[in-house]
Amino acid sequence: MSKGFASNYRIILLATGVIGCFCALGTRLVFLHVIDRDELVRVVEKARRQIIPESARRGDILDTRGNILATSRSMIVLGVDPQSLRPEDEKKWPELAALIEMSFPELKRILEKKTRPAPIVPPESGNAAETSSLPLFSSTLGAAEIAEKPVSPDDDMQLDERVGVNGERLIRWARLHESISETTYAKIDALGIKGVYGSRVYRRAYPHNSLASHVVGYVNKAGEAAAGIEAYADFYLHGRDGWREGERDGKGREVAQFRTRAVTAADGYSVTLSLDATVQHILEEELQEIATTYKPQKATIIVSDPRTGFILGLANYPSFNLNEYGKLSKADQGMMRNIAVADIYEPGSTFKIVAASGALNENLVNPATTFDCSITQIDYRGRPRNLPGEDHHFTEPLAVAQIISKSSNRGAAQLAMLLGEKRFYDYARAFGFGQVTGFPVGGEIPGMMAPPEKWDGLTITRMPMGHSVAATPLQMHMAMGVIASGGVLLRPQIIKQISDARGEVAYRYTTVVKHRVMTEQTAATMCKLLKGVPIEGTGRAAAIPDYEVAGKTGSTQKIIDGRYSNHHHVASFVGFFPASRPQVAISVFIDDATSVTGSYASGGSVAAPSFKRIGEQLIQYLDIKPVYSTAGTNSIVMGGARQ
Amino acid sequence: MKASSSPGFINHLLVYTLVMICFSGSIGLGTVWMRHQISLTANTTKQLDARLSAVDRYLAEATAAAESERDANVLLRRNTEWNLGLVLPNQAQIVHVTEDPVMRLASKRNRALFGDRAATVAFPLALRR
Repeated sequence: MSKGFASNYRIILLATGVIGCFCALGTRLVFLHVIDRDELVRVVEKARRQIIPESARRGDILDTRGNILATSRSMIVLGVDPQSLRPEDEKKWPELAALIEMSFPELKRILEKKTRPAPIVPPESGNAAETSSLPLFSSTLGAAEIAEKPVSPDDDMQLDERVGVNGERLIRWARLHESISETTYAKIDALGIKGVYGSRVYRRAYPHNSLASHVVGYVNKAGEAAAGIEAYADFYLHGRDGWREGERDGKGREVAQFRTRAVTAADGYSVTLSLDATVQHILEEELQEIATTYKPQKATIIVSDPRTGFILGLANYPSFNLNEYGKLSKADQGMMRNIAVADIYEPGSTFKIVAASGALNENLVNPATTFDCSITQIDYRGRPRNLPGEDHHFTEPLAVAQIISKSSNRGAAQLAMLLGEKRFYDYARAFGFGQVTGFPVGGEIPGMMAPPEKWDGLTITRMPMGHSVAATPLQMHMAMGVIASGGVLLRPQIIKQISDARGEVAYRYTTVVKHRVMTEQTAATMCKLLKGVPIEGTGRAAAIPDYEVAGKTGSTQKIIDGRYSNHHHVASFVGFFPASRPQVAISVFIDDATSVTGSYASGGSVAAPSFKRIGEQLIQYLDIKPVYSTAGTNSIVMGGARQ
Repeated sequence: MKASSSPGFINHLLVYTLVMICFSGSIGLGTVWMRHQISLTANTTKQLDARLSAVDRYLAEATAAAESERDANVLLRRNTEWNLGLVLPNQAQIVHVTEDPVMRLASKRNRALFGDRAATVAFPLALRR
């Protein structure tokens, strides 16, 4: 450096200037970072700070073999900002109309409507403020840029906050389609129509449509679990939404490096049911067959594993499509009723298992004990009681086994009289009547069974044949399960396990024994008695060749206008097989079937054949092997021979 | 150059100032470069995250579509449409084996080999005289 330059006064000036600049810069920085800091930070944060919600994916509902019964699909709510549309895109409108399956005139009407009279909603509702804050993203942006914030499906239109001179507001967003698939949206995105916007939402999808609709339930458009397992297991299914806090740039895009805090969304757990989709399909196909042939008011079929109480299938007629539940009219909403647990009926002859089991368990009778079933009146507690009528006239005294197989009303009444009101009532309660079974879905009701102190003189003769008592189909099914399970009442269960999003089992449901009803020996004896029903009794149509079937028919007269009708019945067959080693319990209930063969649609003529058809299919599907029992077990107590 | 002289001090000041400016500048540039890299990495992560989410969404859609195709009613319809003629086996076609399957298969095999007749076996004997 030359001495001349260094000694020049200009260098001092330059140095002073540089230092002055630094001082000015420093002063400004002090103002920006110290004195005005709070105000500036507030302004910047207001402009740039954002909280982005992250939706958790609702868990799946699976059947016992892992088939998906309910899942969540990402769908796009498609809309348009009519103010952003460009004239050069108009030639793409017909293609857009075709993609969203909307008529072109309808699409054109929406796209060309730019304003709407204000206000569209009452100001106090607050909807306008909420909806106007929804982030909207151009379809010309990448898929990752699409808003994940759900748009309320009730909002078809969003208006500008400012009111024009003519009292109208600009339409900022109008709905084009409620749910576009990702694939379709990719095609729409490729069209590049400026102003077409999409918001991504998770929607529930039911791949099997109406299969097990009463069990699975549904999530409504507002995202609230409304029925079935969806509602019962909502705590596990819904997951936990997350959010992240960060900043956005001038175009509203997230600036990834400025993320400050984040709570990751936790996807919902998956619920695995004990229900088997194939078994369920077999039941629903059978119900369709029943509906076509007998035109009943309603019908229900239940299949369970009697050893564990887990339900393998539960189907009702009429049913509904889970994907179209919103299209049901008010009149058709009764289809959503799970009649297996929410409807009651008089169980009829199937209830005779209570009196017979009680009398056998108390050692008051044995299978060979006979009763005169031709009498019409009997003395009980010092008073003559009228016995109920019979469908058949029995000239010979009937053994207990025959009372069951031939379904004698008078025989059942005499068995109950041997027990007495209190013990008979206690046994009926022990079988689960008059109380809820604990089935988690469908709005279960307890049925009706009055305590003995409220009985009249005839109740002890009528209740044993299944009158003066009301039960749900599931209660009757589980009561038969007591005999199949060796004498214990099990809790019916539909959920097998709950797994987290990675597939790890969080909770596994196991068999729940409520209490013991009878000894194993009595249950085995009852099994033998019930085997007679399909062999020489009222349920011959339920017999499956090579298999030991145990069951009981029921034909209950319906009460029409306050009187028992001779033309309207609830036909039922409740049973299980193989009787010596029960693997499935099947119950068929058909309400008000039209008889095609006999005078009325009885359990033996209508429900028993269904039991057989279902049983034959289950034998193959579940690989149920016949029990070739050792000597003695095939010959039932009343002497019926089995080939 | 005398260190204590005024011009010498100015020279040193200028040199140090320039060095400081260069040093600060390089630190500043380094910081900017680093922040740019952070930004790039964050954006890449964000894009990967978005792509993962997109793949998950497409997977969920494909799974739902595949499950719909596996519905029993759809399969039955396909069976009819494509004339596959698939039917469930009926009970008469099923033979339940209650005995030991090994013995059953062995006897079946033996029947195929020897039929129902008794086996005749010849033993050549060599007689020595």
